[in-house]
Amino acid sequence: MCFIMAMKRLKVPVLLMSMVCAITLSATSDEFVTALTGKFPPFNYYNEGGDLAGFDVDVSREIAKRLKKELRIVTTEWDGIIAGLLAGKYDAIVASMAITPERKQSVNFSEPYYRSGAQMFVHRDNPNHIYSIDECSGLRIAVVLGETYQQFLEKNYPDIEVVTLKSTVSIFEMMEQQRIAGFVTDRLVGLWQIKNAGRSFVPVGEMLYTESIGIPVRKDSNKLLKQINRSISDMKVDGTMDKIYQKYFGTVGVAEGESAVGGMTFSIIANKLLKGFAITLLIAFLAISLGFLFSIPTGLLLVYNSGFWALPSRIIRMFVDFIRGTPVLIQLLFVWLGLGLKAFPAAIITLGICAMCYMAEAVRAGLISVAPGQALAARALGLSSFDRFRFVIWPQAFRIALPSLMNNVVALIKDTALVSIISIPELIREAQSIISVTFEPHKYYLIAALMFFAVTFPLMKLSGRIERAIQAKGFKHD
Amino acid sequence: MIKIENLSYTYGDGTQAIKNLNISFPSEHIFAIMGFSGSGKTTLLNCISRFIKPQQGKIFLDNQNIFEMDVKSFREAIGVVFQALNLFPHMTVLENMTLAPCRLRRINEKDAKNSAREMLERLGILELADHYPSQVSGGQAQRVAIGRGLMLKPRLMLLDEPTSALDARTTEDFSHWIRELQSDTNFIVVTHDLEFARTAASKGMFMSEGEIVESGNIDGVLRHIKRG
Repeated sequence: MCFIMAMKRLKVPVLLMSMVCAITLSATSDEFVTALTGKFPPFNYYNEGGDLAGFDVDVSREIAKRLKKELRIVTTEWDGIIAGLLAGKYDAIVASMAITPERKQSVNFSEPYYRSGAQMFVHRDNPNHIYSIDECSGLRIAVVLGETYQQFLEKNYPDIEVVTLKSTVSIFEMMEQQRIAGFVTDRLVGLWQIKNAGRSFVPVGEMLYTESIGIPVRKDSNKLLKQINRSISDMKVDGTMDKIYQKYFGTVGVAEGESAVGGMTFSIIANKLLKGFAITLLIAFLAISLGFLFSIPTGLLLVYNSGFWALPSRIIRMFVDFIRGTPVLIQLLFVWLGLGLKAFPAAIITLGICAMCYMAEAVRAGLISVAPGQALAARALGLSSFDRFRFVIWPQAFRIALPSLMNNVVALIKDTALVSIISIPELIREAQSIISVTFEPHKYYLIAALMFFAVTFPLMKLSGRIERAIQAKGFKHD
Repeated sequence: MIKIENLSYTYGDGTQAIKNLNISFPSEHIFAIMGFSGSGKTTLLNCISRFIKPQQGKIFLDNQNIFEMDVKSFREAIGVVFQALNLFPHMTVLENMTLAPCRLRRINEKDAKNSAREMLERLGILELADHYPSQVSGGQAQRVAIGRGLMLKPRLMLLDEPTSALDARTTEDFSHWIRELQSDTNFIVVTHDLEFARTAASKGMFMSEGEIVESGNIDGVLRHIKRG
């Protein structure tokens, strides 16, 4: 029944959709659009005000100023960040990306804007008198679980006892208790974390290896690349780069307003989560409404597959099978990157088509379980074929299909979580950005899950109720 | 009022269900088409109700070839009550009855409901108006289905095996009820229940293997069958 209401109010979603599209307007020549993940403090992250901040953000801002363009920053997943660049979603990636030969095959890099690498840190008092990684044989050296430093150490320094810990916080604790001799992490990230935590750890020895960090652009953006390179070298010469570096990694003073990681206020967190959830629900609502609307003719075509409709019916059948048989994630990426649609339309169209296909199966099942005598009786009463469908067949088919339609609605609401991958700031993405600041994944993923559940649980209950009511009224035929 | 000329019907698998049938039914309140399973009586009913088209022959309703009538006026002239009744389970008894008048005749809902209530009163089941089909008994459902058909005031109404779902007691009640029903509509009742036919109908015919064995006054037909 909510669908009927949804259909009647279609004007509202159309309006909302156009608003959403307006927000995601494409890059104009006056804009410098860059991408980053927002999850890599101190290079790029959300500060306690909920705004993007960090080394990369400041560098982007300075470059945009030198290009005399308006800066717009897109946050996206690391995994798809190059694909998004190639698809023209943004002009450049300023996200602390290391220059590697593999990446150079698909993009052109600017000159490095900073260098970092693997660095060993020990306590300032240096109780073990270590001055280089080569002196660590037999000692316990910690790395964060899942970081590449673990493999690097095990391969090149087999005599070191590598201890993997789940976070920097636990490494710092172990360091204070002197249960480990030192730890290896990214030099700049390590310096920043030590500074923020107010610890007395220092880097010792050379970096184990170094990485040059550049700004990738598309291979056809030669003009832009030249401008970026000029900006970077200007910034190095006029001291801007040093200033930014000092702000985050300097030994003197703590940059104001940038240090309070974990200090996001409750109202900002609540605001982010609610905004994200509103977007999640908006996408779900639009996709489900569109999907349901089109699932009726699609379901009809799946059932009435003879005569003139034989060929269209077969084509639709194949299409429905294909959509149902492939991951929604791939469909999303295909529409977003492959067809080059904007993120919001891509999400709504992809999820809408998905909804259509899944719901069409439910509609089909509903239609075929209406007793054939019903159509015959309606014909005997002289009703036109449209009236037969509208008053006799559809109301019964809909009641039978309703529980499984509701299940589809629940599944689709959950599927909207996937659109976080195409850089839509919905609930999951907002939760991730909060986590990147607060380091409390258990808390915010649970809250996000509960927010979903608050919507899906009543729907599931309702679905069960409707099912029982339908059975009680005897609509199910043999 | 119904005249059938040289009617033959053969199914896709080659079974000839009706063999060159010729008959004229008088205007009778209730006329029974009798026969056992496979005699072709239901096929004949489907031809008269235009659900299937015979390969050969003609059917006239008051001298009009039914296959040449436009669909709407044909459906208004001949009503059908199916063996399974096929009441619409999602509608109340009243809604079942008002659907066709509202959609076909464009009668407004209030008037349609009023005449449906009058009809239910005549059928003696006014108290069922707001019940759903699943909430009424077999005998009551039978009356509702007939009432639904009568709403369009057809000249003729075809009943297919009306007693098949009724027990002996209800069948007897039903046969008296339909015989005494005050209506301008004539009924053709297709049935294998000879006892019911004797109680309800005044005239009839008996079919076997697609042909008419006997027709005329119901008692005469039944006597002939018992002898045969």
